[in-house]
Amino acid sequence: MVDERASDDPLARARELSLAGLLGALGLLLPIGFHALGWGGRIFLPMHLPILVAGFVVGPALAASLGLIVPLLSAALTGMPPLAPPIALLMSVELAAKAAVASLLYRRLGLSLWVALPAALLANWIVLALAAVAAAGFFAIRTPPLRYLAAVMALTWPGVLLQVVAAPAAVAVIERRVPRLAARGRRGGP
Amino acid sequence: MRGPELYVRRDSPLHRLDARAKLIALAGVVGGAALCPVRPPWPALALGGLLAAGFALGRVLAATVARRLLPLALVIGGPLALSRLGGEATRLAGETFALKSGLIAAAFLLLTATTRAEDLLDAAAGVPLLAGPAGLAGFILRGVHLLGGEVVRANRAWRLRAPRAGARVRLGALCAASVSLLGRAAARSERVGAAMALRGFQGRLPPPPGRPLARRELGIGLLVVFASLAVAGVGRWL
Repeated sequence: MVDERASDDPLARARELSLAGLLGALGLLLPIGFHALGWGGRIFLPMHLPILVAGFVVGPALAASLGLIVPLLSAALTGMPPLAPPIALLMSVELAAKAAVASLLYRRLGLSLWVALPAALLANWIVLALAAVAAAGFFAIRTPPLRYLAAVMALTWPGVLLQVVAAPAAVAVIERRVPRLAARGRRGGP
Repeated sequence: MRGPELYVRRDSPLHRLDARAKLIALAGVVGGAALCPVRPPWPALALGGLLAAGFALGRVLAATVARRLLPLALVIGGPLALSRLGGEATRLAGETFALKSGLIAAAFLLLTATTRAEDLLDAAAGVPLLAGPAGLAGFILRGVHLLGGEVVRANRAWRLRAPRAGARVRLGALCAASVSLLGRAAARSERVGAAMALRGFQGRLPPPPGRPLARRELGIGLLVVFASLAVAGVGRWL
């Protein structure tokens, strides 16, 4: 689950795991902060931001695991997003895809954040549409996946905008505070 | 955790039951709900009765159940109401969606209302494929305890500074606070990681202390599985 590059060094593994754990914790806490202000999580997608940022600072396997776990853990702890209807499950797969693609392109392949970010958002929507088709099959609902996706995008554009604005800023802040994250792990780094 | 936790503190037979037995029972109820036909209604009513008995056994008040399930009313009720406008197939799909969602949501609520999150994670850690994710989830829970105070303080601080701020100012402040929190979490993870390494972390989280599941508790879990699947199976067969 931990980045293979760090697997030989217990300290590096501990740091990566603790970083993932704390970003995952913010994935649970930020939605509570948004709800406290009366803003719906369905519009601003506060859980997505820490998981996307985790994609830029930890390995792909750990990022994907974080994306899978956080919505389910939040559902078990706070009841939101709901497990039935399976919104938490849909969020799990979309967040896992988003974080894994971000990590793969940014940390593993060393591409620019401005390439990795749109690719991660695109992967999010593709996987969400596929997962929605599967979930609709379970409930015997015949909804065209593109129509569902269009509805989701129309509802959540402020959240997407928040991610496009805040995620690069957060990654810059993190790489400034923890310089080894800017230098290590990415291909071409020391 | 400063949030609406689902766990209800009680001393009941269901609270005392091993979390692993409850997970087995949950799997059975979810399977039963997935197989349960909408028409005739008696299998769904029987499963609902089984869950109601569980809530009574766990001493979870009806008002608590209603309050916890209320946020789902829109998510389940909206599509159900819309489906009534369509033909027979659409109505059936809407009813299926509402029925299965309601039963599964109630089953998960019964589990989380009577089991601590830590006990659930320990139980999941005993399952080979779930051991890694359960360890990471436990780590996230500890992170929630570490960062919960910071989130509350950040919210309180800007509320006090700008109590009548407009939506744009509030959104900007929340974005700035989120970015700052992410940065602080990363800086703090360096110290947490170093502390883990100093305490002898070798790259793997230690497994939780395991004890065998008592036969009686396993039997209770399997009984619920059998009852749920039997009700759904007979309902489907008839």
